[in-house]
Amino acid sequence: MASDTKVIGEAISRIDGLLKVTGAANYGMDWPIRNVAYAFIVKSTIAAGTITDIDTAAAEKSPGVIAVITHKNATKVVAYDPMRGIGILQDNKINFYGQNVAVLVAETFEQARAAARSIKVSYQNADSKTDFEKCVAEAVRPANRNDAVRGDFDAAFNAAEHKVDATYSTPIEHHHPMEPHSAIAVWEGDNLTLYSATQVVGGVQRGVATAFGLKPEQVHIISPHVGGGFGSKGGAWTNVILAAMAAKVVNRPVKLAVTRQNMFNSVGLRQQNRQHLRVAATAEGKLSALGHDTTQFTTTTNEFAESCGILATMMYEVPNSRVGYKSAAMNVIAPTFQRGPGESTGSFALESAIDEMAYALKMDPVEFRIKNEPPKDLSNNKPWSSRATVECLKRGAEMIGWKNRKPEPRQNRNGDNLVGYGVASGSYPSRQSPTSTLLKLARKGDDVTASVELAASDIGTGAHTIIAQTAAETLGLPMSKVAVKIGDSALPPAAGSVGSIGAASFCNSVADACNQAKTELQAKTDRKWLIAPTVAQLMDAASLNEYQTRVDAKAPADAAKYSSHAFNANFSEVWVNELTGMVRVHRHVAVTGAGRIMNAKTARSQVIGGCVWGIGMALTEESIMDPRWGNFITRSFADYHIPANLDVGTIDVAFIPEEDQFVNKLGIKGIGEVGIVGVAAAIANAVFNATGKRVRDLPITPDKLL
Amino acid sequence: MRPFKFTQAADAGSAVQAVSFNAGAKFIAGGSNLLDLMKEGVENPTELVDITRLNLTQIKSAGGGVSIGALAKNTDTANHPLIRQDYPLLTQAILAGASAQIRNMATNGGNLLQRTRCSYFYDVAMQCNKREPGTGCAAIGGINRNHAIFGASDKCIAVNPSDMSVALAALDAVVKVRGADGKERSIPFTDFHRLPGDAPEKDNNLQHGELITSIELPKSNFASHSYYLKVRDRASYAFALVSVAAALELSGGKIKQARIAMGGVAHKPWRATEAEKVLIGKAATEENFKAAADAAMKSAKPLEYNKFKIELGKRAIVLALRRATGKA
Repeated sequence: MASDTKVIGEAISRIDGLLKVTGAANYGMDWPIRNVAYAFIVKSTIAAGTITDIDTAAAEKSPGVIAVITHKNATKVVAYDPMRGIGILQDNKINFYGQNVAVLVAETFEQARAAARSIKVSYQNADSKTDFEKCVAEAVRPANRNDAVRGDFDAAFNAAEHKVDATYSTPIEHHHPMEPHSAIAVWEGDNLTLYSATQVVGGVQRGVATAFGLKPEQVHIISPHVGGGFGSKGGAWTNVILAAMAAKVVNRPVKLAVTRQNMFNSVGLRQQNRQHLRVAATAEGKLSALGHDTTQFTTTTNEFAESCGILATMMYEVPNSRVGYKSAAMNVIAPTFQRGPGESTGSFALESAIDEMAYALKMDPVEFRIKNEPPKDLSNNKPWSSRATVECLKRGAEMIGWKNRKPEPRQNRNGDNLVGYGVASGSYPSRQSPTSTLLKLARKGDDVTASVELAASDIGTGAHTIIAQTAAETLGLPMSKVAVKIGDSALPPAAGSVGSIGAASFCNSVADACNQAKTELQAKTDRKWLIAPTVAQLMDAASLNEYQTRVDAKAPADAAKYSSHAFNANFSEVWVNELTGMVRVHRHVAVTGAGRIMNAKTARSQVIGGCVWGIGMALTEESIMDPRWGNFITRSFADYHIPANLDVGTIDVAFIPEEDQFVNKLGIKGIGEVGIVGVAAAIANAVFNATGKRVRDLPITPDKLL
Repeated sequence: MRPFKFTQAADAGSAVQAVSFNAGAKFIAGGSNLLDLMKEGVENPTELVDITRLNLTQIKSAGGGVSIGALAKNTDTANHPLIRQDYPLLTQAILAGASAQIRNMATNGGNLLQRTRCSYFYDVAMQCNKREPGTGCAAIGGINRNHAIFGASDKCIAVNPSDMSVALAALDAVVKVRGADGKERSIPFTDFHRLPGDAPEKDNNLQHGELITSIELPKSNFASHSYYLKVRDRASYAFALVSVAAALELSGGKIKQARIAMGGVAHKPWRATEAEKVLIGKAATEENFKAAADAAMKSAKPLEYNKFKIELGKRAIVLALRRATGKA
């Protein structure tokens, strides 16, 4: 039986896979709820000002309409979240184009949508800030954000012989999980059940409870399956609050789904960033100064900043550095966390600038990076818990065939394509967050089954599966004997699937619970064992057919003494049509050192997902706001270009074996975020190597290469 | 969606009658564009007349050329042996458009009638003379990267999104339509779509109620020297920044006939007749291709965000001609 239970790290298909491919897995909108009504949100068509009147008379008479909710008659709710909670119909103020102004509730979705079009809203316009180019001129340093300074950047940069001074731009991107946001709200008295997919079960519960003045336990979140989130499902956005409000108003269950068109102004975005990089190095290729200044927008009501400069503080051994931020207020839906928040956009700028520096020095960019590898984390002087950057670079260079790269651009051709190779390294911090687990064991003779219960979430990346693997291996049971219950706020509180903390937080907690059960069972018997007993033997010895235990796990005390990150290297081979400027990523290699890999298959899939999104970031994705009004003109997948199959060449993924004893007990670093970090830079650097043209403004569309 | 009447037509005559009698009625076949527009509130027909049961799916030899039915699916048309063999330009153009799923639903007649993808046209909160005549054009002072460089007006700068139509323009196809009087008329392809002028709400020269029955492809000598090149922001399922349908007939080392049509540049598929004139009688050389490309773009009038289309258009013409003549 040993082979059945040694499952951690194996390439095991997702245990929820069958449910998903047969349609049996219930996502937010899928739950069959009786007597449900449908809600549809009406959006503002100005970016700043006030509503002077809303004429709902026609809508109220429209077929099937049950209620029309506006700020005039909305249920009073408490401001619960300055980022996610703008647009809950509490007043007549408009802060961004596409803010919620009314909710229609009708017998069918189509009736609600049709009635929504007959609502007439009158506005008083105020001066709006919707032009990024104009707003950045007024950007200031956020009050809560000091520059990160090491040595004397200005003196070192000014004195340097070899310098790069360049500005890089990244556009607004939207998360666009395959499952748009939705909620079904069901009230029973003062208790609310919300079927709503979320990355953070407890976060939505707390947000909704605050808004409606309830105790958290009065709000029950059910979210066993999540169709992607990427940061946009990290808490209760307005759609969840409005679903609950609508259900209260019509006194029956309500379904509210955000349409794909409305995903652009409902659930956050990745802000536009302008990053000024200044890099200096000695002729021998040692970095001497590194400056990374980011200018970005935030909303007029809330401060949020992607930490684009964080990699500049810790990726390289550079004695003099300065990293700063400025932000400008704009009338726009709130920026929020998006996969690799800061690191993904930051790495495009930093790793492009490093590539430019290597080129200026006539050094191989892989060697240049290795030469500037830091012995410790210079941002906080802590030792690395482990760092595999050099191994990632070396392995990736081998896999992509780096030796075929020509140092000078335009030297490599295939038909009318120019061929280029690029590299970038990257990282993302590793962390374990408090997570509790309830373990229930049941025995019939020698047959033991386990139920592992925690309010974790599976955002499609395999949390169900790695939790089951952890419990199976720790308890010595086959996976078929382990049931996983997650995605329910009634279960013990758990970390969210955010910030790459999920795997480490869930699995360490589950392993702790399993080990604790064995220890406790052992203590209930004085039987002696020559070889380690099975759980069945322990329960038998303790004369127990049922047993349960709970742990409240948190990061090891010593973890804070180390700087813990997952590290990676991305390599890309691009083909660029010399005439049309169309870029194709022919081959891409991602090598990651992320500690213990819990499941070789789901981990690989997750990194591939990061590469695909990185291809989008590099080549196709851009949300375009019309500066006159603040509306997005890229309102569908016909205009917002996520990569199609044909945009994605061969992707090869490898992991560097790593046993990190310090990061946490199981040595898990997390891979979700790091998967996208560096991908866009590797592609942009490959485009330079192919064409000799340095595009510093993503995405690299054909017009930029003419 | 607003309520509408749904009628299933048994034959072309009754379909034409049904739509002719109701100014708010529209034909529906594949629905791959119309249904989207109805969900967005851009199109609000009071009646849909389903023509999918009409016997208009044929693809057959006719008069030395090929007749393709209005209701043949895009996929079936692109892959039909007669088209693949004699009109590979059309096969390439159809397959460059949309996605496999959409091409499986979309009909040939519907492809000709798809509406612009100008995002201001699609967003009912925006001014648009094409959607609501007289309201103005939000695209003119807006983000007009995808818009026209030829033949635009001060009322509309939208472009026609069809790839198939660009090839049909190059091939001098003829559109056969049936009117309310039961009579058929033939419209040369280059006269089928319109420039926006003062009436951008009219994409084409069909009368209300007229039904496309077939598209006639004349005998072609271009099969061995043609190419459809589409330049776009992603490799698949994206509309053209610029596309070029190039077709040459070579004889004794000289270009005997030349056809160049462009997509993504005008309110209709744009025949670059100036470029064609440059090529006729000349050798198929890079130098002559460049001269043709220059001639094609000479009258282009770019907007704030689409100046790149002039250079891109030239390069696309050169590359399409290279590939049409097997030089790349």
